[in-house]
This record gives sequence, C-alpha cells and structure tokens, in this order.
Amino acid sequence: MTFFDVVTRGLKRRPIRTGLTLLGISVGIAAVVALIGLSRGLVTSWTAGMKERGTEIVVHNMRGSLTPKPFPASTRDRIAHLPGVAATCMILVDLMSIEKAELMIVSGREWDCFAWDNLKLVSGRMPKDQKERAVVLGTTAADILKKKVGDTVQIETEELAVVGIVNGGAFVENGSVILSLPVLQEISGNHDQISAIDVRVTPGTDQAGIQRLCVEMNKVIPEARAELAGEHIASSEGYRVINAMSWGTSLLAVLVGVLGVTNTMLMSVFERKQEIAILLALGWRRNRVVRMILWESAMLGFLGGIIGVFLGVIGVRLLKRAPALRGMLEPDLRMDLMLTAIAIAVFVGVLSGVYPAWRSSRVAPSLALYG
Amino acid sequence: MVRFHAELTADRVSKQSGASGYVFESVGLKKEFDDGQVQALRGVDLQIAEGEFVAIIGPSGSGKTTLLQMLGALDRPSAGTLKYRSESLLNLADPAAYRAHEIGFIFQAFHLLPTFTATENVQIPMFENHQSHTARQTRAFELLKAVGLEQRVNHFPAKLSGGERQRVAIARSLANSPSVLLADEPTGNLDSETAKHVLDLLTSLQRELRMTLILVTHDLSVAKRASRAIQMKDGQVVFDGDPANLSNTLAT
Repeated sequence: MTFFDVVTRGLKRRPIRTGLTLLGISVGIAAVVALIGLSRGLVTSWTAGMKERGTEIVVHNMRGSLTPKPFPASTRDRIAHLPGVAATCMILVDLMSIEKAELMIVSGREWDCFAWDNLKLVSGRMPKDQKERAVVLGTTAADILKKKVGDTVQIETEELAVVGIVNGGAFVENGSVILSLPVLQEISGNHDQISAIDVRVTPGTDQAGIQRLCVEMNKVIPEARAELAGEHIASSEGYRVINAMSWGTSLLAVLVGVLGVTNTMLMSVFERKQEIAILLALGWRRNRVVRMILWESAMLGFLGGIIGVFLGVIGVRLLKRAPALRGMLEPDLRMDLMLTAIAIAVFVGVLSGVYPAWRSSRVAPSLALYG
Repeated sequence: MVRFHAELTADRVSKQSGASGYVFESVGLKKEFDDGQVQALRGVDLQIAEGEFVAIIGPSGSGKTTLLQMLGALDRPSAGTLKYRSESLLNLADPAAYRAHEIGFIFQAFHLLPTFTATENVQIPMFENHQSHTARQTRAFELLKAVGLEQRVNHFPAKLSGGERQRVAIARSLANSPSVLLADEPTGNLDSETAKHVLDLLTSLQRELRMTLILVTHDLSVAKRASRAIQMKDGQVVFDGDPANLSNTLAT
C-alpha cells in the first residue's frame, strides 16, 4: 500500500458525496472551457478568415465599441501609396438578422479585390459585376439560411438573388453572406463608408516591417487604426468585454466548486476526527495528515478538472449550434486551454483543502482513546 | 499458542532503560481539565521497569486512561514530571517519532480503519519509517502470520470477528518494533473466550519479545494475568503490587 492508496481510499469512503463534489467542480471547469473556448474562438476564427484572404494588416475602427464602426472610404487613399503596401481591399462588414437567422455576418467587398480570391465556387457563379444585386453564400451560411442557388435572400428591405455557394476556406468565411461593397453600402445606408481595409504587404516583408508599416499608417489615419490581422479582434473593446464576461462567469462557477470541495473536505475531516487521532496515535506526523487531506482535495480538483474538460468540450459542441453562434465562430479548444483548466481545477482543489487540512492538524491525538 | 520469532524484532533498535533502570518514572503527575474543575490525575508517582507486564485497574473516571495518554504522549500533564528512559516526556521535540518508534497502541474498540484491509491496517504506522512498499507488505504479512491471521490478510475489518480485529490491531501495534505496548481495555469489547485468547496472545508477546506491556482494565481477572497491578481511584494510585493481593484490596 502506498500513500497514494491512502489518499484515494479517503475519497472512496463516501462515493456519492465525492461524486457530487466532482460534479460541482467539473461544472465550473466546464464553464471555463466552454466560455473561454468560445471567446478565444472569436479571435482564432476571424484570424483564420483573414489568413485565408491573405490579409496581413487590418485598418478598422473598433476601439470603444462592440462592433466595427464605419469610417470614410477615402481613408484608403492615404495608406494605399505607402511603401510596403502591395494591395488593399475595402470591406463593409456587419452583423445582421437575416430572415430567420438571428445573426449573420454580412460582408460587402470591394469589387475585384483580393478578398474574393479565396472564395471557391461550390455551385452557381460569382456576381457578374459590382452592380449586380446578388450575393454568394458561404457553405455554412447557405446551410443556416437553407438557401440554394436561385433562391433569394432578404437583407434589410432588399431581396437579393443567391447566385453562388462558396467555400471560403475558413469558418467565418463560410458563415458569411458576401456581396459587392457598393450594393451593401446602398442597402445599409452607409454610402462611401467602410468598416475595414484589408492590406497585403509587399512579399518578403518581415514581422517587424509589418509592425513598422502599421505605425506609419496610424500616423496618417487618425479616424481608424491599423493593426496586424487578428490582433484587431483581440485588442478590441468588444472582445475584451466578451473575454472579461467569460472569465467572470467561469470564475463564479469555479468559486461554487471551491465552496463545494471545501465543504466536502471539511465534512470529511469532522467525520474522521477520531480516525485522524488514531493515525496520530500510531505515529503519523501532523504534516503527513495535512498532506493526506491536501492530496485528497487536489485529487478531487484533478478529477473534477478532467471531467470538466470533457463536459466543456461537449458543452461547446452544443453551444456552437445555438442560432446566435452558428456559423459565427469555431470554438478554440487547444490543448493549452484544457491544461490550464485542469491546472485551475487542481489549484482550486488545493486551495479548498487548506482550511480543512489546517483543521485536521488541530485534532488531539488523545481522541484516539475515546469511543 | 502463537510463537513469536526473533525476526519480528530484527529491526528493533536496542533500547536501554534509562540511568535509573526504569522505562517510565513519574513524580507528582497531575492532569486537570476544564480549568482545573476536573482533576483526572492528582499526583501520581510510579516507576515501571523494562519488560514488566503492568495492569492499571480502576473504575471509570479513576484516571487510568488519562495516565495511559500521558505515557503515550497523546496529551501533556498539567504538573509533575514524567520520564521515558530518564528523558522527560514533557519537552519531547518530536512526539510523533516517540509514538511511532517507542510505543505500540492497542485500543478497546480496535480502531482499525474500515476502508483498509487487515494487511493495509498493519502497514499504516510504517509510513513514518520510510520503508519501501515491498518491505511494508512483507512485514505486515509476517506480523499477521504471527498473530495467526495469515489467511485473513486481505479481509476488511467488517469481514473479521471481534477477536480477529483485535489480533490485527495487535499486529499493527508491533509494526515499528516498539519496546512498550500500551493497551486500553483490549478485551473490553470481546466475549470471555475470545478475550482469553487475546490475553494469551498479549502475554506470550510480552514474554517472548521482552516488551513492556501496560494494560488498562477494569476487569479483575484480566489484571490478575499481569506481573504487577496498579489500582487507581479518583486520580490517585491506591494500590501498587502483586495482582494476587488485588482482590483483597478492592474488597476493602
């Protein structure tokens, strides 16, 4: 028998209580995995979309708002000629309720620019020109809207023909309704307004060069901001709010887990007072008893973490099918998030065991001779 | 009768009695509870020599269990001196080490841990010895074999009879080769036949391993098995001598 056996045996003596405590902590950890996975997915999904379009710098105006604010299309004229800029593409992107779908990404793209290049036709055709009042749907968007080539889709008050279904190579691209910029500007009433400029830099420019280019751009466009593709999401106010809310909600759930484990371990110590006294009478040092309680607690956390990660992954799979999220983002469930969640669970376990362990260290060994 | 082999005490460090020749010596030993409202021990003077089998007898509340707690360093006296091999037990730097290596406890209610098998229960005190897993297992099996339970090593306490449980507890008390056994009413929860077997086991253990056995009881017949009896009443020693003379003393 090893010390580990002693620890596990302590948890097995009340299986229902241990199980319920595990459930409590695992729900907290599942919340961490699901909410943080979704919130991080926002960045990775949009970054992947940018990467597919070959965008290296994004000029936007997202500071202080949850959604990108339009800014004048003329902004592009001040950056397009800067050394190091290979190509630019103006985009007006918005989140809109379209027919029965609560939120869809609608992306109006400057005609004939590189942001159309990654779209591979699955069926139908591309719009004939920038004036055609037509859209192409990403595969996921077509699925959500239940549309096929030949159908129409209503954006604001306008009925537009669905002329093609495309594969954009990234989750966000496939979840989008894509049309030409002038058409969307007209429909949405944003004449001469855009919400982003995708920028490609001269091939061979290194990361430091791209950063320098952003600095140069920001000197000439006070109304907007140039940032590396992806960073514009991570640094936006909207993302920060979402991230803070995700962590806040997760930590509240974890706090409930802490209270659960503390309660369980405290009950366990009270219940095992005489048993602890016997261990002390048999020569166990107090620090071994303390370690036993802390290990039990840490193990509850560890197991709760594993179960929580499992539940979190299942939860995310269900959440991403929710109408409000479907097609908008792909949850980011990388290994580092799972390991962080398990580490949080173990920390929570140890933290929850501190007070019960301290109580266990105060048990009088003379109690062994009673009862 | 169970025979104990020399190898059971092979790892026992040679422990010499103190300069005075006694294992335990106490002078004016007092223990008070509730800010002096309860006086459990009222000045106990005694000496116990190496290898003695001493029965401490007395009614409930006479202070015999409290005295056992003091001898086992489970609690501290309120006043007086208490020495183990001429060293004060009042200022022990490491009471846990003293309990782990010098003392073996046997309890009335056995106090086996219910979620551990017989062999695992015997291994519990060995954790402080930093022995290997295999060494602990081997020794636990030897000890259980010595108390006649080699067929019951993997049984949980709930599956053992009262006598078997107490034999597991006796094996556990020997885990770290102590030189003193402190037994608190070891036959109190057993029927008379089983109690006799357990007492036979303890007696042969004490003789063959030359251990000091201090046994607390309120049963005169149990006390008479000892080589010396200490009778307590109201926290004081009222008789200390040959158990054969105990009945007369109790009667008066």
